[in-house]
Amino acid sequence: MFSYYFKLGLRNLRRNPALTALMVLTLAVGVAASISTLTILHVMSGDPMPHKSNRLIVPLFDNGPTKGYAPGDEPNDNQLSYGDVQRLLASGKGERRTAIMGIGASIEPDRKDVGAFIATGAGPTKDFFAMFDVPFLHGGAWSEADDKAGADVIVLTRKLSEKLYGDEVPVGRRMKLNGHEFLITGVMDKWDPIPRFYRVVGAGAFSTEDEFFIPLSSATRHEIFNSGNTNCTADRAPGYQAFLDSECTWLQFWFELRSASDRADLQNWLDAYAAEQRKLGRLQRNAPNKLFDLMEWMEYLKIVGNDNKLSAWLAFGFLVLCLVNTIGLLLAKFSVRASEVGVRRALGASRKEIFHQFLVETAVVGLVGGVLGLALSFGALALIAMQSKALTIVAHMDWVMLIVTFAMAVGSAILAGLLPTWRACQVTPALQLKSQ
Amino acid sequence: MEIRPILSALMRNKTGPILVALQVAISLAILSNALHIVKVRQEVVSRPSGIEKEEEIIHIRVGDLKTEAPFNEILATQKMQAQVLRAVPGVVSVAQVSQTPLSRSGRNSGVAADRKQEKVNTGAGQFFTPDSLVKTWGLRLVQGRDFLPTEYMDIDEKNTNEIPRSVIIPLALAKKLWPDTDNYLGKPFYFGTGDTADEVRVVGVVERMQSTGAEVGERGEMSVIQPMRAISGPRAMFTLRAEPGQRDRVMKDAEEALRKAGNNQVVVRTKTMEQDRNDRYRADKGLSWMLVTVSVLLMLVTASGIVGMASLWVTQRRKQIGVRRALGARKTDILRYFITENVMITTTGVAAGLLGALALNQLLVTKLEMARLPADYLLGGAAIFLALGVAAVYGPAWRAASISPATATRGVV
Repeated sequence: MFSYYFKLGLRNLRRNPALTALMVLTLAVGVAASISTLTILHVMSGDPMPHKSNRLIVPLFDNGPTKGYAPGDEPNDNQLSYGDVQRLLASGKGERRTAIMGIGASIEPDRKDVGAFIATGAGPTKDFFAMFDVPFLHGGAWSEADDKAGADVIVLTRKLSEKLYGDEVPVGRRMKLNGHEFLITGVMDKWDPIPRFYRVVGAGAFSTEDEFFIPLSSATRHEIFNSGNTNCTADRAPGYQAFLDSECTWLQFWFELRSASDRADLQNWLDAYAAEQRKLGRLQRNAPNKLFDLMEWMEYLKIVGNDNKLSAWLAFGFLVLCLVNTIGLLLAKFSVRASEVGVRRALGASRKEIFHQFLVETAVVGLVGGVLGLALSFGALALIAMQSKALTIVAHMDWVMLIVTFAMAVGSAILAGLLPTWRACQVTPALQLKSQ
Repeated sequence: MEIRPILSALMRNKTGPILVALQVAISLAILSNALHIVKVRQEVVSRPSGIEKEEEIIHIRVGDLKTEAPFNEILATQKMQAQVLRAVPGVVSVAQVSQTPLSRSGRNSGVAADRKQEKVNTGAGQFFTPDSLVKTWGLRLVQGRDFLPTEYMDIDEKNTNEIPRSVIIPLALAKKLWPDTDNYLGKPFYFGTGDTADEVRVVGVVERMQSTGAEVGERGEMSVIQPMRAISGPRAMFTLRAEPGQRDRVMKDAEEALRKAGNNQVVVRTKTMEQDRNDRYRADKGLSWMLVTVSVLLMLVTASGIVGMASLWVTQRRKQIGVRRALGARKTDILRYFITENVMITTTGVAAGLLGALALNQLLVTKLEMARLPADYLLGGAAIFLALGVAAVYGPAWRAASISPATATRGVV
């Protein structure tokens, strides 16, 4: 019976073509609007490292001045100072540790057809690569000894490697960065976490990817200043060493724990560390020392902006309007078929059968609306992606969203069809037959 | 007007009218809020930066391939680069500068009217220049003067914290620091607070100079211009004004000239002020664009709903209309009947929509930090939907009025 009703539903699309077209179009537009905004929200709020995001921990404590500070105020900055970072790296807490700075540096290619250019990269420690599951195409991360020595070693992204060396494997070669020779230890395979959680402060969560990585110790040895946010609350002596020794905050830090349950232990250690620093005359604000896991950190930094939420809300409001509209139109479509229902009922069809038939017919409308809505949302996402580089990164559809689209279209059409279908069943056969 | 019979006819078959009223209500609630948000964003986007004729402005960043060089060598290079740029045909004026409005990258400092204060009055963007921004950017001086040649300093940031004592500030910062006076010349203020805070004095006040972030609200108007060239490494930024219509050519020539002068050992990045402005406001423009699209679709869907339902009612009532016509009702009577009916439904919808708009706005204000909705958007939205309702029903109503009494009463429906 289902397939028969399904075919009937398809055939009935041609009945009142204007009304049906309007219904399908309305449904499609509503679905497209909500799907495209939802996709963006979904990608923005996605977990970039689902298997270990609760073991990746950002520590945050407040080294701001006490002057003008009231307990409960927001922390002075979301980053840490160089001194604190060095002590956290040396702490041995967690399985892995890294601090990260942003670097803008000139690269002078060997190839004469590519001119010198400025590339953006980052300065972590070697743990960074294992911690964030960075895949390697050739070679690998630098060694702990390189970190200690501040060696001039570099890891390239696949894109930068191809720009500089084409198809060649450049591992073991030397390249010029800021006029210094760096040894290439590895080339990453495509690694494009969204949002770009590891250096959100200063770089943004949806910015273009970092093109190279050099040890933090090498960057500071060459006196490279952070490319990103640097926050100094007090005057400091001139010069790079004074900058490192200052309370300026400019580094982000990550711990990787062996298991999420180690978090309480880390919190205790952090509190003890802060107390010890306080005795030395630092961290006088005595503000709470916080730990965030990856998703908590994204939430804390408000990665999903209010504008994106607004778009999604309004798009859903719009979908509701489209559904109300569809209910009205379905009502109109079904009400002219009262006589047909009357005849079928008189010939012995039960109310349940009529209900079944009309609901299948509604689902057909939903299905057609869904297919069209899907096509439209691809168009909408393409339009959104044209707006900016950042949106190009987030405006792509995945399988989850594809299934959601279909479920939503058909589901909402069926929902919209319930009332008209119920009304259609209420037809009294005798009255209908008499009026003929 | 025969309101009572129309009303009782409506009450007998409520579902359709309720659905139409509901559509009007939802549309109105969303539309009034959406259009208001669009207007708020448009106001943000159209704030002036203080720079005259932005379409003639180009920013050029130059960096050396090597990062280490002694102060004097860097200083000489930067002076040479400024000369090279001045010699490019079509260049009206060149200034070296540390940061530019709307570019979203730069240095800020807290400023205080008194060093004994607990907290600074506000943060302000620090613009360093060894040239005249008043001249190159066309900033309008409202008090005082531009910097004198003797006030400029070349500073080696690696070895000193010294700064020049003269500054030019925009009116907004002056008002923020000294709300009780309107003569700001010669007044001192401080970078930071406490005994070590640097004191500077105002020599000029410009009408406006937006900060690098161009933040919404007063923070976006806070900046300080200091007569200095601060050198911490071999990189520099220049801002230049091109002759009208010459910008793109000048940009290419300037880049080439700098490369040539640097023996191809420099990296040069150019950007127009227009690009900075577009980048800064891309999100606002994108949101506005999306909201306008949704608003248009809302109206289309609502109108189509009204047309669809009204057409259905006309079909259902063919017979009655025929009878009425046969009993002497004129075309205009039929037309009026349907329009009155629609106005009644739409008005109900609008009333519900007004409440809905306020509720939605309350939600947006509390959850998403949006602005409160002014009353004129509610009234405007209501007017739009009343007009839309009449326009949408006019077609079906006209068709109803055109039903010939003879065929209508004869036919089997």
